[in-house]
Amino acid sequence: MTIALLLAIATFIIIIQAAIPYLLKPTIVFGVTIPNGYTKNEKLLFYKKMYASIVFIIGILTITAFMIWAMNAKPLEEKMMISGVAIQFAILILSMALYFVFHAKTSKLKTENQWGANLKQVRLVDIAARTADEMLPFTIFLLPMVITIGLIIYTTIHYPSLPELIPTHWGIDGQPDAFTEKTPFSAIALLLILLIMQGMMVGINELTKRSGIKIQANRKKKSRAQQLAFRKYSSWLLFATALLLTILFAFLQLMTIHENIGGTAIVLALPIAFIIIIFGMTAVYAFKVGQGGARLDVQITEEEVEGITNFDDDQYWKLGVIYVNKDDPSIFIEKRFGVGWTVNFGNPISYLIFFGPLLLILGISLYL
Amino acid sequence: MFIEIDMDSEVPIYIQLMNGLIEAIANGTLQTGNTLPSVRALASDLGINMHTVNKTYRELEKKGLVQIIPKSGTIVQQRTVDEAKLQQFTHLIRPMMAELLANGLTEEQVHQLSSDIMISIKEGDQ
Repeated sequence: MTIALLLAIATFIIIIQAAIPYLLKPTIVFGVTIPNGYTKNEKLLFYKKMYASIVFIIGILTITAFMIWAMNAKPLEEKMMISGVAIQFAILILSMALYFVFHAKTSKLKTENQWGANLKQVRLVDIAARTADEMLPFTIFLLPMVITIGLIIYTTIHYPSLPELIPTHWGIDGQPDAFTEKTPFSAIALLLILLIMQGMMVGINELTKRSGIKIQANRKKKSRAQQLAFRKYSSWLLFATALLLTILFAFLQLMTIHENIGGTAIVLALPIAFIIIIFGMTAVYAFKVGQGGARLDVQITEEEVEGITNFDDDQYWKLGVIYVNKDDPSIFIEKRFGVGWTVNFGNPISYLIFFGPLLLILGISLYL
Repeated sequence: MFIEIDMDSEVPIYIQLMNGLIEAIANGTLQTGNTLPSVRALASDLGINMHTVNKTYRELEKKGLVQIIPKSGTIVQQRTVDEAKLQQFTHLIRPMMAELLANGLTEEQVHQLSSDIMISIKEGDQ
């Protein structure tokens, strides 16, 4: 069971990591802005292929070796778990290292060939885009929070009948495997963590909504449609995650209050189903929508405008991954390498958003 | 409607943005009573400083095209033309007109030019 799950997660990570160059806008290659007209350069396409092949092949070899080892040596569950997680990290580190290599190569290629030197750099805004934005309103995100608050009240009512030991950690099979003494705080700690995560998601939704709708200079209608769709689907994915998380945590909490609530089948199925659904949704989102909606098929025909290109903001992207721009009021900004959002470290609020909830959750865990 | 900002241009960004918004009012994309995008939204979409957008909005207010109402937004105003404004426009256009004529354009060419520009503004950047 554990090995199947570890393999599934590792395979998922390998596939997504290997596919990243193909999930991005063609105008940003390894974190470098490539002006239109050069995006199909042979060397660039070769770099993308190289990156994808290396990540994929090394990844598959590693998990095959892991599988053979696990089958033959039959290690203890714990040892297997640690090695499995180590492999996942190794793949991530490998792809990151490769990214930096190709980022440098691509930057060099761009400077050597002086791509875009004869093109006018423009920034574009659609003054009507905001009215067409279909990101979910924050009120919808408050619904799961209401459930959590309801559960806190419910737990308080049932406090006397709660067991003396409150579970604080659950195994992959849905069974609690770590406990702490019953106190009013430990009884609701899980729900508090859930509440923080839900609050974080409301914040992410609101701040991504306020972030810029970036329109590409020479294909404005198409990129506008892709941007709006990307924003909409991002927001839906976030809400679905919030909802699933609420269901999982609510169930764990109810199990603590009423020990015999779920049959063993449900207990076993719930965390697995949770992981499968989350990963499935993410995969569909990454491959169907793509970064910034790059993979969405939009039924708009328009002529590409010649002679202009997007404003080259590479100077604000440290190493092509960390965005620092004091002038840009956006706090969340679309990632350059990867699907989703990253924060603008030019804004102090970003540090709060990045570390605040983490510290809070860590604080609760340590206090227990 | 799309507004394009040329980052290599010598014309300051706030003026380019202002010209774009004025065209949007001229061709009816923004009508009387409409709210302009919030300063933050416009600055985020363009990835520029909020002060720049603020400056644009204040300039538009000075021109009497919009009214900035704190906390509720920037609203396109009912347009009125009085004697004073007409005179102001004359002052604005006169040197340009003179420059055209000085460059040898005929009266007909000037008319043609102005009607071409008018059409392209009305069509907008759909």
